[in-house]
Amino acid sequence: MIRLGNVLVSPGEGGVYGERTLDGYRVWDPYRSKLAALYTLGGGIELTPDMRALYLGAANGTTVSHVADYVETVYAVEFAPRPMQDLLEVARRRRNIVPIMADANRPEEYAPFMEAVDLLYQDVAQPNQVEIAERNLVFLKPGGHLILMLKTRSVDVRRDPAEVLAEARTGLEKRLDIADVRWLDPYHHDHAAIVCSRRE
Amino acid sequence: MLQRYWFGDVDEEGCRAAGTDPAALAERAAALRTGMDSFVPIKWEIARDCGVVRTREEYVDLLRSVCIALARKKIVQSYQGRDVELLQMVRMLDELDNVINLLQERAAEWYQVTNPSFSRKYRSLPAKKMLGIIRKGARGGLSDVADEIDRLAGTRSRLMREVSARADEVMPNTSALIGGLVAARLLSKAGGLETLARMPGSTIQVLGSERALFSHLRGGTPPPKHGIIFQHRRVHNAPKDVRGRVARVLAAKLAIAARLDYYRGEAVPEFLKDAQARIDDAGVEA
Repeated sequence: MIRLGNVLVSPGEGGVYGERTLDGYRVWDPYRSKLAALYTLGGGIELTPDMRALYLGAANGTTVSHVADYVETVYAVEFAPRPMQDLLEVARRRRNIVPIMADANRPEEYAPFMEAVDLLYQDVAQPNQVEIAERNLVFLKPGGHLILMLKTRSVDVRRDPAEVLAEARTGLEKRLDIADVRWLDPYHHDHAAIVCSRRE
Repeated sequence: MLQRYWFGDVDEEGCRAAGTDPAALAERAAALRTGMDSFVPIKWEIARDCGVVRTREEYVDLLRSVCIALARKKIVQSYQGRDVELLQMVRMLDELDNVINLLQERAAEWYQVTNPSFSRKYRSLPAKKMLGIIRKGARGGLSDVADEIDRLAGTRSRLMREVSARADEVMPNTSALIGGLVAARLLSKAGGLETLARMPGSTIQVLGSERALFSHLRGGTPPPKHGIIFQHRRVHNAPKDVRGRVARVLAAKLAIAARLDYYRGEAVPEFLKDAQARIDDAGVEA
């Protein structure tokens, strides 16, 4: 990852969402992007130019645009029409983003477009986040990585976030090796990042 | 095993390309049904060997065009429902209310300092009337602002009638039970007619009182009896000890009405007659 001083940045055409630029690089704000928070906190998987990524919960394409600056191809899945309009505009300017309007719960909807990816990144506000990740593992290469941004409040607002995280870990451990788990405080509250790798 | 990909069908014997026209490919891809058990991720080289593209770059380019075309189509479809615009209309209406109230309060404060003898105490002064006084009494900037507020208020009432009429059309059963405006507010809170139609009555009953509901769920406080539906006269005019019952019965009937609206889309007189009678019964003190 590229850092200027201790500021996380990404290379690429700026002006996607009014982000600041620094020496021609785009500043990647940890308060806005959970993935940026994870890297700022010292975790995450190094993004490399030969990587292909599947991004679930692409929303307005803010974080997607930064990921696209680093990797070869991003498959960006989003199913709400409003943010999809913005995502299409981002994809129009970045030729390595493939925007897919589909429900991450139903991978069969977008399977005909998918190749195997090195990175599966998931940031969806759904109660069954672990289940969604499991369903999408079919697209992940053996040895590839899953970064799951667990929104504990979306799973169940009434339960203790730590408890929700523990349950998610048990669920993921069945098919994946967990490499790193951390909370995203102080940037995002009640959000945990779980980094796993798929067994060979 | 046959694999149906966006660029063509692939099996042991080889590959049948589906052409290179993005629009045609998008149409074909929209109809594809994939079983996940036998699914194998695409190797882009197959598309090259198939003659669809020559390079990796071309592959991603073509795939992008197909996906963008598909997404555009889906966006258009999702905005086609009649409820989508109603949703925006009612949200704008509620926002206008907020803005008008804020401006009016501010204008009154301003008027009060320019006119020391003016007070709102001991007189019932509806906003409309107060605005009239300000428009007459004030000069310069303040009177311009007051004119503007008056114009906004006019816009608001026209929009309100429009919302009401559109709600009668989009959700005839729900509107018949609770009035177009409140029906539209329920719709806005739920996020769409389909979502509203899938909600249980108990959820509809407390839509709009999320704060009280969650403070109740977290422990301690009493549960809310009603949310948005309180705005309907049958709820807020009901005697206090039966108000909860009226809200519950009304919400239960609204849940059915929303489903009728979503799945049938027309008023169902028999249902409405029964429902009205049942709701009226609930309001009679035991």
